[in-house]
This record gives sequence, structure tokens and C-alpha cells, in this order.
Amino acid sequence: MAEYTTKLAEDEVLRLENLSIQFGGLKAVDDLSFSIKEKEIFGLIGPNGAGKTTAFNCITQFYKPSSGAVYFRNKDGQVENLVGQPVHSIIRKGLVRTFQNVELVGELSIIDNVLIGGHIDFKASGFEQALRLPRARREEKLMREKAEDVLRFMGIAELKDALVAGQPYGIRKKVEMARTLMCNPKLIILDEPAAGLNDVETQQLADNIYQVREKYGCTILLVEHDMRLVMSICDRICAISFGKFLACGTPSEIQGNAQVQEAYLGEKEE
Amino acid sequence: MQKGSTQKSFLKNPYLQYIFFGIIISLLPVLVNAGILKTSWVGIIGGTIIYAIAALGLNLLLGYSGLISLGTAGFMGLGAYISAYLTGDLGLPWEVGILAAIIIPVIFGLLIGLASLRMEGLYLGIVTLCVSEVLRKTFDELEPITGGFSGKGAEYPTLLGNIVLNQKQTYVLLVVALVLLMMLTHNLTNGQLGRALHAMRGSQVAAQAMGVSLLKYRLIAFSLATAYASLAGALYVHFIKFVYPSTWTLPVSLTILAIIVVGGMRSLYGTFLGAVIVYALPDLLLKRIPVIGDINGLSYVFSGVLIIVVILFYPGGVINIFRDIKKLFVKGSKKEGEV
Repeated sequence: MAEYTTKLAEDEVLRLENLSIQFGGLKAVDDLSFSIKEKEIFGLIGPNGAGKTTAFNCITQFYKPSSGAVYFRNKDGQVENLVGQPVHSIIRKGLVRTFQNVELVGELSIIDNVLIGGHIDFKASGFEQALRLPRARREEKLMREKAEDVLRFMGIAELKDALVAGQPYGIRKKVEMARTLMCNPKLIILDEPAAGLNDVETQQLADNIYQVREKYGCTILLVEHDMRLVMSICDRICAISFGKFLACGTPSEIQGNAQVQEAYLGEKEE
Repeated sequence: MQKGSTQKSFLKNPYLQYIFFGIIISLLPVLVNAGILKTSWVGIIGGTIIYAIAALGLNLLLGYSGLISLGTAGFMGLGAYISAYLTGDLGLPWEVGILAAIIIPVIFGLLIGLASLRMEGLYLGIVTLCVSEVLRKTFDELEPITGGFSGKGAEYPTLLGNIVLNQKQTYVLLVVALVLLMMLTHNLTNGQLGRALHAMRGSQVAAQAMGVSLLKYRLIAFSLATAYASLAGALYVHFIKFVYPSTWTLPVSLTILAIIVVGGMRSLYGTFLGAVIVYALPDLLLKRIPVIGDINGLSYVFSGVLIIVVILFYPGGVINIFRDIKKLFVKGSKKEGEV
């Protein structure tokens, strides 16, 4: 069972401590530390191959970090180290993520895809489900109503019975976001949410992220290439390069940071 | 108006549809008694139902969870032998035989599920095929229980200890089993469990991120598929009344695979339709054709050609023809309305 620690300050929800992961000789994430405060919109940026997605996967335990710790304040307010816990148990603690390439089930309707996000909240056993016993029926009905609420919130309620296959990319991104909201998350990790979206959709996404924070009261961590989006919506940003920490601060601090400029644009020639 | 809408929702209730479907196919013995159809039809359609039951299980595994198995035949045989041995040699009631014939194979199924965590696709297919062959060889060799090469006999079921069924009544029992399983499968696939299986097929990483334990749901998928297959086998032995080891070879597993590909992945009626097309049609029609009908193994050629045709032109399975015809009509009537 998880051990609880007091490694987090009152207002912090997640803290990486000296996180490292090595693939053969390559240190994809090297001694990375930063922390995220409650209800913050926090951006993780860096040039291509900087190790952003790897850092993500280390937080959600898809990769097992070689060393370091990931402290997270779970739904019950307890702080625990996520490192070494099974991947499928992470969502139960209140940490949920989206994927860079939108991982949905094309053959299912939009609402069924969203219901997959509610997986952990079903208590009825397979036996009860097979016989449609009262508890299974009641749960299914409640979760379906919740899924409809979430879809209404995302503005795609009228599409709920349409199949995901064949939906435009923007809609599928919204479905994926809706799916994360089903589990009442504390922290949502968005992996390149603006990739493949046009300007209008990106603006909608920014609004959506704000609304999610307001309505669901959660913290948001995003990895993003679209600098305009990151600079406009993030409260704080952490920049990394070649797996190493560069700087952490408000958008304007990051923009003015010489090291960050160097990592993105190269060294100044004298 | 009110009456019309309740009537409509009555017709749309999936459970009533399954029961209605069951009643229709259980009318077959009546037609045979009336002399409209030949007696051999009962055996052929009964076999179709048995194949459809095993195929429902494979559909849960391959169609929903995206896991392959070529071991269906071995588990059907295992179910058949266990039930034949328990009811025949040990004289246990039919109900006990069926129950044991499901539980013991499911334990094997769970072991394969465990192995499946370390294997994907082709390799899983090979391993399940090996398990099936090992089982078949066991049926050959374990003579005291299985009767070896000469096979083993069984009787028609005796329900509750004193209701002895004949062939046509056993056929109705098969229909009842099929309809009940269709309802169970409908419930399972439309709830949390079914969505978890879908999620696993769609993307393993996303499924895990949503809290789906791959271990748990792979075990569930394999044990369900094994339970369906072994039940089908146990029903087989009490319907055909005889079982040979040489029956449970790869062609049976491939026929069941062909059933769900031809009929329609993830469709319950499609599974039955597939069983009719792949299993019953060759017996009912092809073998009646002069000269060609005498070719050995014609039904395999037939299902091979069918799979190619369906995958090329109707990748969703033959069951979609009905949907497309309906669409055509709806479109047609709309156009008329516009004009």
C-alpha cells in the first residue's frame, strides 16, 4: 500500500524531485525538479526532443523513472510518491491525462468513449452487469447522465450518439478532454492539446481549459509547442532542454530568460 | 398515437427481440414434423447454434478485446469430454456435467490469459493453437476417460433428474441457451465491462490511463471466451451424442473465426448469421450440387472464398447488409418526400 508523506507544501499538488530516466546511455530526463500549485495552469515547454513527453510518462508511471520521486496530493488530500505504482491505479488518485495522438475507440459512440473515463467509478461486479441487477442499472444511468453533463459542458452534447470514427480532429480532442473530466480529477495532464488545431479551435481550447479549472476546480499541467497558447494561459512555466531543467517562472520571466532563448534559438554569435 | 409509440418501444426492446428471434428458430422442429423440411435440418441448424455459441465467446475475445485465439476447438472438446465422462461414466446429473465442463476449461483459459500479458497477435495465436493441439492429443491418449480413437458416447440431456429429452427437445434447449447467452453478452458488452474491453482493443495505454487493469480484463476476456466454447462443446456432446478426438482440430477453430469475420465483428445477430452462412449453407446447399458437391473439404474452400470476398467488399461483416438496405429505403423515401 502507498506510504503517505508530508513532502508537499500546503498549496502544492505535485512535485517532481530529482527525477531521472535513462534509455541505454541517453538521459532523457536528467535530475528534473519542479512543483505545481493547486488550481494552477502550469506549462512544460522545451525544444523538440527535450524530454517533455518522457517527463509526462514518468509522472503517470508509463515509464518507470531510474531515480527520483513524484509526490502527489491525492483526492483524499494525502501525499504519496507515485513512483513504482501500477499505471492503472494512477487515475484513482485523481491524476488523469490525454494523449498527443488522441487515443479513442473509433467504433464506439462519443458518449461511450466518455463513459470509459468513468471506469473506476463503477462498483457493480461483472456478474451484476451481466444480469443487469439494480445496482448495475442505477450506476449506468447515473454515469450516463454525468457523461451527458460533461458533453454539454464541452459543447458537443448533440453529437453524443455519433461514432468517434469520422469525427474531425477538433471534436475528437474535445471528446478526449471530456473523458478526463469523468473521474473528478485533481490534476489533468494535457499532452500537446493544441497540436493539429487551427487558430479558432486553439482559442476555443484556451477558453475550455479556463472553464475546466473554474468548474471542476482542478489543476492543469500542459506540454505544448504552441507558444502563443502557453504564454497566454499559463500561470507558470517550466522550460527544459535535453532533459535538464532550464528555468521556471511566469510567462514573461521565461520569455526574458537568456538560457531559454539560447535553447530555442541557439547561441548568440559574437 | 400513444398506443403506436408504446408498440414501437415494445418492438425496440432488445431482450424481446432476442426472445422473438429464439421463438422463430425454435419453430424448426414444428416445420420438420409438418413435413415441410427434412429431418436432417434439425441436426444442421442445431450444429449451427452450437458453433454460434462458441463464436459469441470468440467475438468477446477477438471482436471486443482484440485478442486472438486459435484454441477454440480444444476447449470445445474439453467441455464435451468432461460432460460426457461425468454424466456417462460417473452417472452425475446433466446439470453438474455442464457446470464442471465450463469451470475446468475456464481454469485453463485463465492460464492463457496470464500468458497473453507477455504476447501479442501472431504469437498468442500460435500459443493458443498449441494448447488446443495438446488437448486434442490428450483426448487421443487418455483412453480410460475419453475412449481414445474410437470416441465416446453420451445421451440426450435429462433435466432435473427425470425429464428425458429427445433430439428435437434438445434442439429447443440449444435455442434457449443461445438466446440466454445473447442477452448476457448484450448486457456485458453494453456496460462498464464491455467498454473496458473496447478500450483495451482501442489503445492499451489509454485503457490503462483510464484505470483499466490489463491483467484483470485480459483474464476476464479469456475466461469468458473459454466458458462459451466449453459450454458449446458440452452442448455438442449431448446433441450429437458422440465425440471423437479428431473432431477438435484447427479447422473447427478456423471455422469459428470465419463465422465472426463473415457475420460481423461485435454483432450478436451477425455471429448467428455468420454461423448459418459458414456452417449450415455448405451442408444445406453446396453438398446437394452434383459433381462439385462431392469434392472433399468443399466447405473449407467455400468459407475461404467467403472470407476474402467479405473482407474485400464488406469489411464490417454480412450483417451490415441489412443496415445498408434500410439506409437505402430511408434515403429513397426521403427523396420521394422532397419531390
